[in-house]
Amino acid sequence: MKKYFKVITIFLFFFGLPEAFAAIGCDLNDPVRDVARLFPGSSGYKMRYASITELGGEPLLKKIKERLGGNSKVLFAPIDVPYTIYEVYNGSTKLGYIHGVNQKGQYGGTQVFIIQNLNGTIRNFYIQKISGPAAAKFRSPAFGIQFIGMSVKDFGGMDASTCKGKGRITKVVNPAPEAEADFMGIMRGLKKNLILMDEFVFSAGAKK
Amino acid sequence: MISRLHIAYEDLFRKKTRTVLTLIGIILSSWVLVSLLGFNKGFELALNRDIDNMGYQVMVMAKGCPYEAATMMLQGGRGLRYIEQSMVENISKEPEVEAITPILMQAFFDPNKGESGGIAGYYGVQAKSYPGMKPFLKFKSGGWFHEDDAPQVVMGFEAAELEQREVGDMILVPEKNVELKVVGILERTGSQDDGTIFVPLKTLQKIAGTDKITTIGIKIKKGADMAALEEKLYKLPNMQVVSFTQVKQTIMKLISTARVMVLSIAFIAIIIAMVGVANTILMSVIERKQEIGILKMMGALPGDIFRLVWTETLILCAGGSAIGIVLALLFARVTDLVVRQILPYVPNGGLVSIDVVLALETFGVIVAVGLLSGLFPAWKAGRVRPLQTVKSE
Repeated sequence: MKKYFKVITIFLFFFGLPEAFAAIGCDLNDPVRDVARLFPGSSGYKMRYASITELGGEPLLKKIKERLGGNSKVLFAPIDVPYTIYEVYNGSTKLGYIHGVNQKGQYGGTQVFIIQNLNGTIRNFYIQKISGPAAAKFRSPAFGIQFIGMSVKDFGGMDASTCKGKGRITKVVNPAPEAEADFMGIMRGLKKNLILMDEFVFSAGAKK
Repeated sequence: MISRLHIAYEDLFRKKTRTVLTLIGIILSSWVLVSLLGFNKGFELALNRDIDNMGYQVMVMAKGCPYEAATMMLQGGRGLRYIEQSMVENISKEPEVEAITPILMQAFFDPNKGESGGIAGYYGVQAKSYPGMKPFLKFKSGGWFHEDDAPQVVMGFEAAELEQREVGDMILVPEKNVELKVVGILERTGSQDDGTIFVPLKTLQKIAGTDKITTIGIKIKKGADMAALEEKLYKLPNMQVVSFTQVKQTIMKLISTARVMVLSIAFIAIIIAMVGVANTILMSVIERKQEIGILKMMGALPGDIFRLVWTETLILCAGGSAIGIVLALLFARVTDLVVRQILPYVPNGGLVSIDVVLALETFGVIVAVGLLSGLFPAWKAGRVRPLQTVKSE
């Protein structure tokens, strides 16, 4: 039996190891702990999946791309990617949502999560994964606090290519000017995240 | 003219609830049987595919508890046992060896993954030997690196998607802050390669600060004596040998124990279903004794009555079996997901493989066993005495 265990373990090691970095999509690494931390006052959550294919197919994809500014690089995901939406509750009362997207950064994928109230405003912000020397600066609370209170309207006028726009987003300070690509990636990720949530949850007719 | 089949069908559905319940029993047993046989076949096919996708049949690594090594690597990339690269040259001299490739697995801690950091794994491979081991790998874009010390990487399909990388982009090795350029992205393979980041061997050795390797992959010549080679490899000091034939046999052995148990359950389910069939038909015969008596008085022979009742059994079993097989085909994906939740290791790809032959075999088994169970009621019906039954009315 010991021999079997040994052989199977080696097998699992070589076949299972890549699983450590094989997952696609943007889920919270530890939802129980993360939801409680990101949404103080919550008692639990429900997960649901939304994909552009299921919720509208090509016409919805076209609409999302148009809202993103027609820049297909911003979406950078197949149409059938399942987006995980965490519906956060306190008892049976729904408090809001948590949703993450993958976005291209300078040295790897950046996972940008927004924590939204029921009206769609950002109440918290979390970068689960980011690569590069400036990663810690972008993950610091001081950077994330700048987005609290913003909504999809604030990003509506932002050009996804240049990340320039009007209103509140002009006041967002890049904590690492040497990592402009990462900063722009985060801004694009935020815009994408807000637009996707608007289409999946907040728009009239979307499942709330 | 009314056919025997039509009469049998009409007779069966006089008592709809009873017939439907019996039918459900047959459907379930047929569903379970075909799914199990499909799993039997599919699991082995998928396991073979996984092993073939490794590209080599034997792996050599440093002796030591592999569980500990795997755990330590996953926890921080430290504590791995290394082997001298010169070992590759020694092993390659063996006559059974067709090709050989050194591999270095390395993991680095990334503090910016999740709340408490995570591990980024890299697979160091030799540019001249590794691609030859896996000629089936196709590139979505770009190609393999050509130099063992090039600051480049090739990414599996899912790794590239997760890291949002394209050919020409850079990645940064955490902890070491070394930049590497993406030169190739593989097409999806459905195997472990999809999540792998391949780095030229010497580049990874340099980053990790070692000149050693962790694993040697060996491809055996066709017709060569694998056991003889394994024997020679076992004699190497402080080395551990893993043959994928052995791995396959071990996994199949473990699976077979569970398989026998589940097949036994399926067998019992079939027996219960068939007892239900016999009961339903027998009840139907008892209830129709007078009718059968009248049929006989009108000139029906025992053989005619036997065939009529047996046809009812045939309709029940054939119908139930066919529906069960269709349901098994429709829900094969669900069965697949359930099995994946239960078993600790399952190969990539579909686990339940139901083809026409298997479906026909299952259909044949259920109908044959069903007809056997219908023998007694049909015989009993054939022996009904017409005068006695009419008098009893």
